[in-house]
Amino acid sequence: MSEKKQQVSRRQFLNYSLTGVGGFMAASMLAPMVRFAIDPVLQAAGGEDMHAVVDVSEITEEPQRFDWTVEQVDAWYTSDVTHSAWVYKDENDEIVALSPTCKHLGCAVNWAGNPDYPDQFFCPCHDGRYYKNGLNVPDTPPNAALDLFEFEVKDGTLYLGNVKENPVQEGGA
Amino acid sequence: MRWKKKDLEMFFQSKEFIDTLCIPLIPLDLQTESEAIKLADQNTSLQIISDELERNYTGRIMLSPAYTYIRSTNYESESAILNQWTSMLSYDHFKHIFLLTYDVNWKKHERLLDSNLIWLTATTIDDYQTDQTKKWINEQVTQISELIRSFW
Ligand code: FES
Repeated sequence: MSEKKQQVSRRQFLNYSLTGVGGFMAASMLAPMVRFAIDPVLQAAGGEDMHAVVDVSEITEEPQRFDWTVEQVDAWYTSDVTHSAWVYKDENDEIVALSPTCKHLGCAVNWAGNPDYPDQFFCPCHDGRYYKNGLNVPDTPPNAALDLFEFEVKDGTLYLGNVKENPVQEGGA
Repeated sequence: MRWKKKDLEMFFQSKEFIDTLCIPLIPLDLQTESEAIKLADQNTSLQIISDELERNYTGRIMLSPAYTYIRSTNYESESAILNQWTSMLSYDHFKHIFLLTYDVNWKKHERLLDSNLIWLTATTIDDYQTDQTKKWINEQVTQISELIRSFW
């Protein structure tokens, strides 16, 4: 019994060794790809997924939209993907970086995008609205607040990372 | 929305909100090097503009894969095919269909088309990463979206 179990047929052996070689090849292909995915400039700044977006001195109390481009490697397809954020300083001088992606169906919202609501974010697609802190205005299509970006300030530059859920519960300006 | 599995799943769930279809029109011509290069370059910039448009209006615009044709075509018969394309793709669903192009020949045959033609004047872009180019692209996208929004 045990003798039979341990016997490795020629075919099995080939299979094993080829899988091994294949796996090794995949790994050696993937390693550089992963390395390229991380911009060397930003790597130096420490955060794995943080991207330099803007000089902190440019941030005002009025939300402004900043764009940045990330090289995204999707299996064998590399593309430049543009991201945006609405960034401002709140009344406590704290930086707030909101994702522009509408929680309804994903259009990009604009600060003061509707002249009737100059103190809100407006979604042009189906008239969704959000207060300045990102909370969705009741009775408009979105059913959640705009996501927040994780951020970090280093040497006067704002770095943005992944989005996370926005904890705001109450509206107001 | 794009012609992608994930987006299409969302499309079929929220169809009533996605009422606008955009189709880039891309001409091909390999007769001379300079023309071919020019067209390829326009293809790139039209693709970037369409991508940006889609990114800003994902929840309402469906961006179709480009309609590709030979530039020396007969635009009358090509219009007929294009009309067939848009009606088949739309299935009476889309309220607004826009064709995006740099090709002035479509402008000349606009009356034959069932959908709205957005004809952009072409420029040559050497470097897509410069701030100036990004500004120009943003400007184009803003103007096109203002036009589209005036139909909503
Ligand atoms: S996508 Fe923003 S309101 Fe519908």
